[in-house]
Amino acid sequence: MNGRSTLRRIALAAIAGAGLAVWAFPVIWGLLTSFKTERDVLAYPPVWLFKPTLDNYREVIFGASSIVPNLWSSFVVSTSATLLTMLIAVPAAYALARLRYPAKRASGFYVLATQMLPPVGLIIPYYLVLQKIGALDTYAGLTVIYLTFSLPFAIWLMVSYFEDVPFEMEEAALLDRAGRLRALWYVILPQVRGGMAVTTIFVFLNAWNEFMFAVVLGGNRVRPVTVAMFNFISVEQTQWAKLAAGAMLAMAPVILIGIFAQRHIVKGLTVGAVKGGGRR
Amino acid sequence: MVAARRPAPTLEAQERRFALMLLGPALVALLLTTTAPLVYLVWNSLQRLDLGMPWLAGFAGLDNYAKMGSDPRFWNSLLLTGIYTASTVVLQVVIGLSLALLVLQIPSGQGILRVAAILPIVLAPVVVGLFWRTLVLAPDFGLVDLVTRALGLGSHNWLGDPQLALISVIAIHTWQWTPFAFLVLLATLATLPPDVFEAARLDRAGAWQRFRHITLPLIRPAVVMVVILRMMTALSAFAAIFAATGGGPGSATEILNLYAYRTSFTELNLGYGASLAVVLMSITLAVSYLMFRLRRARG
Repeated sequence: MNGRSTLRRIALAAIAGAGLAVWAFPVIWGLLTSFKTERDVLAYPPVWLFKPTLDNYREVIFGASSIVPNLWSSFVVSTSATLLTMLIAVPAAYALARLRYPAKRASGFYVLATQMLPPVGLIIPYYLVLQKIGALDTYAGLTVIYLTFSLPFAIWLMVSYFEDVPFEMEEAALLDRAGRLRALWYVILPQVRGGMAVTTIFVFLNAWNEFMFAVVLGGNRVRPVTVAMFNFISVEQTQWAKLAAGAMLAMAPVILIGIFAQRHIVKGLTVGAVKGGGRR
Repeated sequence: MVAARRPAPTLEAQERRFALMLLGPALVALLLTTTAPLVYLVWNSLQRLDLGMPWLAGFAGLDNYAKMGSDPRFWNSLLLTGIYTASTVVLQVVIGLSLALLVLQIPSGQGILRVAAILPIVLAPVVVGLFWRTLVLAPDFGLVDLVTRALGLGSHNWLGDPQLALISVIAIHTWQWTPFAFLVLLATLATLPPDVFEAARLDRAGAWQRFRHITLPLIRPAVVMVVILRMMTALSAFAAIFAATGGGPGSATEILNLYAYRTSFTELNLGYGASLAVVLMSITLAVSYLMFRLRRARG
């Protein structure tokens, strides 16, 4: 009996290890590649022990094809889109979760429906309109357009957090004759601080990783790092080590967030999946 | 209670006003960034709007939609969308759920596996596509080719051969998003009360029966929700395929989403591209409506 359970445990560990390897390995392999010379990249059989070089990173930071301006673009667009989204989404989510007003179900359904529009459908109108008002290749244009996918998502995620706040909390605050806005600000918001952190992380990740809007509506001035990576490979087909170094820099923020906010992310995914869309 | 009735309407009106104040900006933003473009998209789909032939521009009625009937590339993209969505969703849920059930029984080391599972999810799909195109699937030097060569299966052009390319993009999508199903289902399974399983074990129910009759009904809402969300992602998949194959070779991996994009922004036929996007949008809405109906009926 004991032998069997040990065997079982080993088998389970092996399966978990395989999952681990399959998911983590391409990323680790990319990290290794980013420190190789182009010659080592194309060595067969692949070399595990090589003399690491920082040349690739030097090239993508200081070289002619530097991605630093693109990192800046991504940072500006993602940060402003995240701030704008949270500013609009948090109050709206509170109203949807807690207040009584006419057409409440309809407004909730509307927000949910907007979440299901495939981006490719919206990009043609955006392109035509932004072109007409001269807002192609601007930070403001891209930031506002990122609301299409970040806003419905953020509202629904926040609704599920507001719903978990006990009713007594705000009743107490209202009896206190504190105004509604003050009750929301001082009593309710501190209760959903964790939820706001999770939502902020998700909105930022999605904005940082966005590609389709950025490639069509961006340009020479506003070129987020995802677009820069894509252009990289069409220009420099075979320079994989440089590509890997660029990709590692471009993805460093999201990888770090992923590792350090792992618990929050899993929680956000679960809330979104189990509660968020399902309630209504 | 009677005394409280009089001020009630004003309180109600006050609440209504407050709700409008909080909700207003969001509704305006959504109208401007989703609904107005949607209307404009439908309008454009009724136009002849080809930036390559601007002199032909004008109202076209339903011509763009009629054109689809005899467009083999459209039917091909529709078929590929079906194959791509169905296979990636089934693979993600089956692999994710099996792995979650197994990992649940591991006493330690779940943490590191969760970190590894987070990695694909947080990466930008476009970077994932580029990574696979070069380091993983490139002939001769990619990881997969190194393995198949070592196993004596020979070298293959994973993204250059039409059939292999479709399998490859399905594999890429499955790789990136299976962790989502895995993590959500693992978290759901972890919340189930252990005494349910104890009782079944005492009843000498087999592992499969326990799963089929106890675990599955309990986690069904989460499974259905995962299926819905995964379908949405698969239907609007773009960046990873665009980076890995660009829809090619030929149109071997050109799902409807990519076809609409290529028509609009490579061939610059915005009118026809818009009508393709409208079709994709209708499919997405219809599928999600059906899934939600199903969820409610079963739940």
